Amino acid sequence: MRGEHVGTGPRNAMGVLMTAASGTVGVRSAGDGELLPKRSSYDFVIVGGGPNGLTAAAYLAKWGFSVCILEARPELGGGAENHEPSPGFSIDPHASYFYGASAPALEQLELGRYGLRASTVTNFGGCASPDGRGFFGAGNFFHEGKARDPEVLAQIMGVSLDVSKVFVEFMGALEPHMTDFFRSIYWTPPYDEKWGMTRSDLPWAQVLREALPFFDEVMLEWSLCEMMNAMGLPDPFKTGLLVGSWGNGPHPFHKGMAIPGFAVQQLMFYSNCTPVGGMHALAHAIIRCGLAHGARMYVNAPVTEVLVEDGRAVGVRVDDDSALEEKTIRANMGVILNTHVKQLPRLVSGNHLSQDFVQRVDDISLKGGSLFVANMAVSELPQYSSADREMHGADYPVGMLLHSSEDQMLDLMRDVYSFNTHPTDPDHYQLWLIVHSAHDSTRAPDGHHVITMNLQVPPPEDHRDGPDAVNKASGEIMETIYDVIRQYAPNMTRDKFVKTWVNTPQDSEFRNMAFVGGHWWGMRGSEDEWFSRKPLPELARYRTPVEGMYLCHQTSYPGGLCLLAVPYNLMHILAEDYDKIGSTTPEWWYPSKWHITDAEGGTR
Amino acid sequence: MSIGNGDSDGRDDLSSVYPNLAGNPLEGIEFPQEHETDCVVIGAGPNGLIAAMYLAAAGLDVVVLERRYEIGGGLATEEILFPGHYVNTHATYHYMTDYMPALGDFDLGTRGLRFHKPNIQLRGRVNGDDVLLCRSLEDSRDSMARTSIKDATTFGDMALRFRKIVDGVLGPATYLPPGAPLDLMESLDRTPVGQDMLHLSEQSAVEILEEYSLPDSVLATLLYASCQWGISPQESGMGFMVPLMVDRGLQKAFSYGGSHRLASSFARVILENGGLILDNAEVAKIEMDGSRAAGVRLADGRRIHARKAVLSSLDPQTTFLRLLPEDAGPKDLRTQAENWTWDKWSLMTVFFAVKGKPKLRNADGNLSGDAFSTVVGFEDFSDVVSFLESVEAGRIPKFAGHFTCESAFDKVLSQVAGQHSCFFQMPAPYDYPWAEQETEIIREVTDLLDSQFEGFRDSVVQAVLETPRDIERRIPCMVRGSIKHGDYNPVQMGNMRPNTDCSATRTPVEGLYVCGASTYPGGMILGGPGYIGARTVCDDIEVAFPRDYNKNIQTYMDTYFPEGLPV
Repeated sequence: MRGEHVGTGPRNAMGVLMTAASGTVGVRSAGDGELLPKRSSYDFVIVGGGPNGLTAAAYLAKWGFSVCILEARPELGGGAENHEPSPGFSIDPHASYFYGASAPALEQLELGRYGLRASTVTNFGGCASPDGRGFFGAGNFFHEGKARDPEVLAQIMGVSLDVSKVFVEFMGALEPHMTDFFRSIYWTPPYDEKWGMTRSDLPWAQVLREALPFFDEVMLEWSLCEMMNAMGLPDPFKTGLLVGSWGNGPHPFHKGMAIPGFAVQQLMFYSNCTPVGGMHALAHAIIRCGLAHGARMYVNAPVTEVLVEDGRAVGVRVDDDSALEEKTIRANMGVILNTHVKQLPRLVSGNHLSQDFVQRVDDISLKGGSLFVANMAVSELPQYSSADREMHGADYPVGMLLHSSEDQMLDLMRDVYSFNTHPTDPDHYQLWLIVHSAHDSTRAPDGHHVITMNLQVPPPEDHRDGPDAVNKASGEIMETIYDVIRQYAPNMTRDKFVKTWVNTPQDSEFRNMAFVGGHWWGMRGSEDEWFSRKPLPELARYRTPVEGMYLCHQTSYPGGLCLLAVPYNLMHILAEDYDKIGSTTPEWWYPSKWHITDAEGGTR
Repeated sequence: MSIGNGDSDGRDDLSSVYPNLAGNPLEGIEFPQEHETDCVVIGAGPNGLIAAMYLAAAGLDVVVLERRYEIGGGLATEEILFPGHYVNTHATYHYMTDYMPALGDFDLGTRGLRFHKPNIQLRGRVNGDDVLLCRSLEDSRDSMARTSIKDATTFGDMALRFRKIVDGVLGPATYLPPGAPLDLMESLDRTPVGQDMLHLSEQSAVEILEEYSLPDSVLATLLYASCQWGISPQESGMGFMVPLMVDRGLQKAFSYGGSHRLASSFARVILENGGLILDNAEVAKIEMDGSRAAGVRLADGRRIHARKAVLSSLDPQTTFLRLLPEDAGPKDLRTQAENWTWDKWSLMTVFFAVKGKPKLRNADGNLSGDAFSTVVGFEDFSDVVSFLESVEAGRIPKFAGHFTCESAFDKVLSQVAGQHSCFFQMPAPYDYPWAEQETEIIREVTDLLDSQFEGFRDSVVQAVLETPRDIERRIPCMVRGSIKHGDYNPVQMGNMRPNTDCSATRTPVEGLYVCGASTYPGGMILGGPGYIGARTVCDDIEVAFPRDYNKNIQTYMDTYFPEGLPV
């Protein structure tokens, strides 16, 4: 026996010592001193392991292709993450809601089978204005059918019966078409701008025309604010909705963005759940689906370059310091970038991208999405003075907007965009509070809660006082935030805040390179960067100037929110580009009703 | 403008048109209320995952249930120094990577696993002397030979003696069910190594080490290494822990990217073999079908039915007193669980984010490298004894323990350029006014480290204290901060862990198995209970175990149990 070799009289002491010490006795462990696998060739290589990259991997792996994800960070999940920096407190440094309950991927990838569950929530939101008015119970309001009773609704919203009738009319007509409405916006690939289609050809215009007897094409040109005004909605409800849209992409005052902005609000009411355990649980379900179908996923593997041969992407190079043994990973079919569009020029060297293209990528606007996030461990729930009752448990509003008035939204916008500074006047602090722990006992220890708070601030690069201005001011900003919360919820004295973790835009960008500018949904939500033009016209259909290289990130259409939409849409395009995909439709797959292939579009 | 003025007739049944209106938009999509599988594994710590990995590879349907938001249990790597610094909140050091069959039986390298084994494993800085203990025995000897060739020779003899015991007996025996003490004694008596092991077992750590004529600083460092995870230095009957902790303590491995990678690689094998893993899934009750454990009910009401087996990797009180229905199993199962004693002390850790890599003061020449673990704060051998005895009695006599700069060995753990993640850890009692003392403790520990590392105090960017209570909050089955789910003492080891009926992972309840750190051979990421548990389940349900014994285990069986393992 080998052990005995050590024990029986040493021939010379040194030799035995060396044998014993160098570990040749005993069983050599797997991975011991080895670099990660030599395997270096896959059908698809995906750069980035955020929700879109993971979902693309799961789709492709389930479709039967070999897939490898290379993630630069120490963990998978991207913005769909949770952390427990203090025992028992699960914080959301980034994404906080799952709006994608209408995503085909849930069924197609069977994410429930891989563990996805929803917390029971009856109240998704509320808002309160400085004059003491409040609106509570957006979840009840829709799910319990109150939105369909004009009299009840008039009371809840604080509006006249005429206004509530209009609202009921509108929602009543749309509700039966809600899944189609969502899917026509989010879960369908954009059309090619070259096809020369008009606003009224848009997929959602088709759905609305069918759904709403009173649909008017002019609605497609409105800003969201115009639409809310047309419906006669007052504050604080109106601003709650506007900020709900702004905080999720589409800007409330941008022309042509009324319907996309309205759709985001409706996602909150009809397609929203809070996953048990938080957004990271969603990432886990997708990861586990991908792994179960054979996808390989590596962390700490930053990609430095996409390799291009004869104009075609053929693989990637990973950082020399990465643990992967092979630094060159070949992609036999394609390379999919789950990275910010602004990373694209960095990843493709030489003359594969035109100067003009690089300039236009550089010009993509990041205004309006950089969030100052604070996760606050608190010893009790805020009880809002504008509410008519104490709220607890499933009744507690998950989302709550403080300072919900149009004036204050404008003040904040002026701070953030015009003056390019973070708000300094407490009256400009429009705070979006999110409390998942009221509904999900996994999120905080007994007797405690976690409040996630979002506040719009300028992207670091645009701040007039320098990129680290917000980081430097974060102590002051937090003090103002505590004060504003107490203004609306007098029980929230300073001692109720046990611990706070701040994530500024600069922190976001530093933690996750795909959050350029600390921008939460990648880029500005305006019509010139939307649908056929998102993020640029030639990138709208997920293809890039390099053949075989695709962009699958929230900077692609329809954007962020972990909707699992970009990869679903991408599959349509891959099916067009690769016979191997297009000719083998698995039974679990169904495409978008509104998808138009290049061949079809080209003949229009 | 007017949007329209139709009436609202016919909209009462909208919920049937759009079912999501009923409330839960994931209705029909989320994980079902009832699910059926072959085996349910409670707890996704290292043992639960290892058990599930083998069961899934054996072709069985497996569901692993984890209470936390992440799998891994003690294999946790988290961003508690937020943002950008990752630390191992529980296990940092992996002692058994040379022996754990789970590592050799699956191709974990392709699932992201990679170990480092730094050469300078342990530095003892005792009363100004530096003791350097390395993976390469020659380097340890060289460091001692600077002052005494005799010491170097003595240390070499000791290291070899311990190596033989670990390699021949303790390593392989970790992965086989425990025998009755008499059987084991009879078998070990067959070889000189076995006899030596029996001889050592009866002694205490202090007695074993004091036999060696080595400098006090070396003995103090070895005593700390032997006892730091919860062995009473003067308790006899636990002597086998000394060769194990000294030999393995100089072969510690570090999982690249953090300990969580190990859990993650296990999970990948489970998933690839069709297993399911649910996190945020706390088990509320084990459900019985007559006298057989037939599944579990989760805290959210979901039920997972187990056709073949339920394996619990939790502590005995949770398994037998809380999860098992009161009328299931013999009464003394509950009594035994009630009598279970928790670890005699827990651990207190201060995690630091620091600017620059901590540089040891007064480190010269060939002793200047980064040690994987540096023991600081002790005066001499008897100081280590009295320190541990004080902690065991519930006091903190002073701040002394071990320090590691994790990001010096694994740069991905610090994502902040120029900054490092490191920690100081020491044995500590559970009952202590932790909350009130937090600031003071961080200050004292910082002072201690500043006395050892140049400019440490000024380099600190963040400091976070994790107390024994925090350990329990993160992982409730580490009751009172018991990192091993229960004390290591002669009556809770071997075939008495957790009791004589359950130590071989079967329990008196049909269909219920135990496979966590509270089951033989114990905790500390040995991976023994999970491996033995999976083998036992496969035996019982007559499914072929998917892997053969590795060579080391086979050799051990051939040597000591040529007639086969006693049943």
